[in-house]
Amino acid sequence: MSDVPSPVAAASLPAAECRPGWPGRAGAAATLGIVAILPLVLRDSYGRGLLIAGALNVIQALGLDLILGFAGQLDLGAAAFYGIGAYVSTLLVMLAGVGFWPALALGTLAAGVMGGVLALLTVRLRGHYLAIASLGFAVITYQVLLNWISLTQGPLGLYGITPPAGFTDPVRLFYLIAACAVLVFAALRALLASPVGATLAALREDEISAASLGIDCRRWKAFAFAVGSAVAGLAGGLYPGFAGTLVPDAFAPADSFGVLAMVIVGGIGTLRGPVLGAVVLTLAPELLRGIGDARMIVYGLALTLVVLFMPGGLDGAWRMAAARLRRNQAG
Amino acid sequence: MRQIVCACGLLLTFLHTPALADGAARVVRIGALLPISGAGAYFGVQDREGIDLALDQLAKSPPGGARFDVHIEDSACSPLPATQAARRLLDGYRPDIIIGEECSDATLAVMPLVLQAGVPLLNAGSSALRITDPGNRETFRILPDEVMQGEDLANHAYRDLGARNAVLLHENTNAGIGNAAIFARRFAALGGKVVQTIGFGRDVNDFTAIATRIAALGPIDVIPTYTLEGQGLKITEALAQAGVVRGGGGHAVQLGTIWLPLGFDQQAGKAAEGYVRIVQFEPRDPRPVVQDFVAAFQAKFGHQPTHISAHAYDQIMLIADAVRRGAATPAAIRDRLAATRGFSGVTGSVVFDEHNQNVSRDTIHYVETEADGSFKPLDWK
Amino acid sequence: MFVLAVQQGLNGLVLGSLYVLVALGLTLVYGVLVQINFAHADFVMIGAFSAYFVTHALHGDYLLSLAAAGAVGALLGYLVNAAIFAPLLGKGSELRPLIATIGVSVMLENGALALLGPVPYAFATRYSAEVIRFGPLYLTAQSVIILAVAATAIVLLHGFLRFTFLGKALRAVAQDRETAGLMGIAPDRLIMLTFIIGSALAGLGGALLAPVLVLTPFAGTSVIVKAFAIVIIGGFGNIEGTILAGLLVGLIEAMTTQVLDPGLIDIVVFGLLLAMLVIRPTGLIAERREENV
Repeated sequence: MSDVPSPVAAASLPAAECRPGWPGRAGAAATLGIVAILPLVLRDSYGRGLLIAGALNVIQALGLDLILGFAGQLDLGAAAFYGIGAYVSTLLVMLAGVGFWPALALGTLAAGVMGGVLALLTVRLRGHYLAIASLGFAVITYQVLLNWISLTQGPLGLYGITPPAGFTDPVRLFYLIAACAVLVFAALRALLASPVGATLAALREDEISAASLGIDCRRWKAFAFAVGSAVAGLAGGLYPGFAGTLVPDAFAPADSFGVLAMVIVGGIGTLRGPVLGAVVLTLAPELLRGIGDARMIVYGLALTLVVLFMPGGLDGAWRMAAARLRRNQAG
Repeated sequence: MRQIVCACGLLLTFLHTPALADGAARVVRIGALLPISGAGAYFGVQDREGIDLALDQLAKSPPGGARFDVHIEDSACSPLPATQAARRLLDGYRPDIIIGEECSDATLAVMPLVLQAGVPLLNAGSSALRITDPGNRETFRILPDEVMQGEDLANHAYRDLGARNAVLLHENTNAGIGNAAIFARRFAALGGKVVQTIGFGRDVNDFTAIATRIAALGPIDVIPTYTLEGQGLKITEALAQAGVVRGGGGHAVQLGTIWLPLGFDQQAGKAAEGYVRIVQFEPRDPRPVVQDFVAAFQAKFGHQPTHISAHAYDQIMLIADAVRRGAATPAAIRDRLAATRGFSGVTGSVVFDEHNQNVSRDTIHYVETEADGSFKPLDWK
Repeated sequence: MFVLAVQQGLNGLVLGSLYVLVALGLTLVYGVLVQINFAHADFVMIGAFSAYFVTHALHGDYLLSLAAAGAVGALLGYLVNAAIFAPLLGKGSELRPLIATIGVSVMLENGALALLGPVPYAFATRYSAEVIRFGPLYLTAQSVIILAVAATAIVLLHGFLRFTFLGKALRAVAQDRETAGLMGIAPDRLIMLTFIIGSALAGLGGALLAPVLVLTPFAGTSVIVKAFAIVIIGGFGNIEGTILAGLLVGLIEAMTTQVLDPGLIDIVVFGLLLAMLVIRPTGLIAERREENV
């Protein structure tokens, strides 16, 4: 199997592509090492805030890629599950006195369950129907958070949210979230290497053929949606401690497109892709701040160009570069 | 690589030395959290104009030989961007004092950060009570809070306009909901009847249906409206089209807050006739400080200042006043601010109570829009 | 009570007509390309500003500015198709053009912001202040124009698709691109034509919306999500369904405002959307689109 993604292969990911971007031992160690020293390099709260935001985005992007890249289901409602995780866990802590960790678990579960329910409801749909349905779900979730003031405080917001005990220091909070990201990555990798991964790949490639093979598409779609949404919910549960305040606007439907962009730009259907995409798209608007008013124009332009001219995303570019390096060394 | 660039950039800003203590070319660093992007972005535009004019004038006659530097970060009128902007400001720029934000949501979100950093916060745009009421030592506000505005408005509506029923219109934000609730409570306590309270999101496309709904309620005396300029204009037009407000041949009087800049009436045209609102800044104020300000503003920018520019100007001037009285560190600035006496800005004089809320109301008054778009001051006590 | 219902019904129809104009562009493009153009909202916004420019800077007639807005929309449609959709046609991942249009949307919105600033523009035509009363009901002259223009556009579009050769060719391409190609119709040209028509309608819709909306560079975003909902409720690629759905959503908005609360509009509309998808995914007027069911 070639490492260089040809346009055709990148377009419809071959079912054999079930080891996308697996980091080897060296790669894993290097990545973990970089993650470990980053907060020591960036010593100010702004830089560390950026690291935390980046880690949260990595988790979200991984979750979405499971649904989108590996199960082939177009989900435009990622922000909703992020929000569900955030609000459920925070409200449990604030209103019901639940401890942080159980609340986090319940928030993750809630998001996962909602994702599964959405998938089951829209089970007959494919393609853009499902996309708009998920977007509609995101709109409704946002509106519920906004209007159910007696529960969520709506636009008035929830203030004074603190990180879990022992993690109030931003460096430790970053390590916690980064550790979660690593766990999610490892878990997804294991999942995809298992027979489940093959089933999802079959579902992605051709639903009708998969059904003819006896795969219950409905159940596996719901499964992928549920797991991917749970991952988003996990990120959502970790977010409020960092932000300190919780308002529905942080989960506006349009934010789903931000996560989608991270997955696409990073490289859809790979594991390294969402990580790269999340990191780059978290840093890019900040680094572009120096440009001033033209910042977002440049961002939009960059997004468009990357999508148009880099079919495999950043991950694809990485692998082409790596392959070229290997060829030069070999020949 | 990117992290190294980032780190280098931040390192360079750290090396920028803070103000020297012995007065030689002392620089007072003012951080500004303003909405530059998003729904409230026009606040940012007007704020900047006021700030620029103030800096120009201070450069010409520096109080106590001090120079003033202002660094703006975009808080986007929303909590999360505001906290990120506050972090950038506090870590990168190390201000002696911060001014901002316009929107209550954003101000409330940044307050803990600023408090923790020991930097005073001077606010002139957010009306939420929680900003000063709990008694945060570091936070100052020169704008009247929502209780001061809302109760006063309700009193005047009942007593001077003879209003006995009201329909409240508000946007679904902290400020909108809070202000409407205060008015409703006071109005009901006086004996008035709040017929309906209608809240709407900032992205409503069409106010015709809302206007029709109000029209069907029968004669309404007053319609307090709490929303931003763009929506406010559309609401007034729709209400006039439906024949609800005086400008459309109806009976009701719309009540507005300090939020609406003065150019609003001209845009609404005839529909704004009879509109009554609170103002804290008026270009026709005969006091020399106001006339000079308006003339200088017009000369520099080619148009009249709004109250937002006026507030921004006053914030800078108030800080300059504190510096003139001998403040060099953030803590000293805070103490001098709290002790402010005899400062008379374009938006009125400033006297802080024990919660650092400005309780001086010498320029607060009410105006009513005439049929030709001009407005006359109302003689209400 | 009855009068109130009729008045709100009128309000709803006017708003619905605006939504229809915006949604038609989306559904037309989807019909031939099976793609969504996320920059569509910004075509609406740019159409609105074009109309503003013609009326306020050039002091042209408002009705002339409608034509200008349509033309600008058409141009934008041409550019986006040529730059994004046409090159990626048939090249696999159907998501890439979608994300590319998100990038275009960000560029357009922020470019407009840099050019026009964030302060809302007050777009008043002499028609919006003029109120026509008939009995207890009322409509502004602006609303009458909206209804008239929208109705004309719809009738013309319908006639075009049904009765002209080009229109039939368009429908053929929508049904089955390959076969249409085999039968001597040039699908690429027709797709471009569809894009141009759809985007012109968006620009026109923007010009009609300009006096109604709060006019800033982000004005398109409030309309576009509803437009998506309308396209689904009506049935992707289905013209009659989209028209019906658009009017329906406008009516729902007005009624929700009257009976419930304006803040709940989105919940009601999208609740309806999800219900439709569960019960009747093919849309209000079913067409033969099995592969998406």
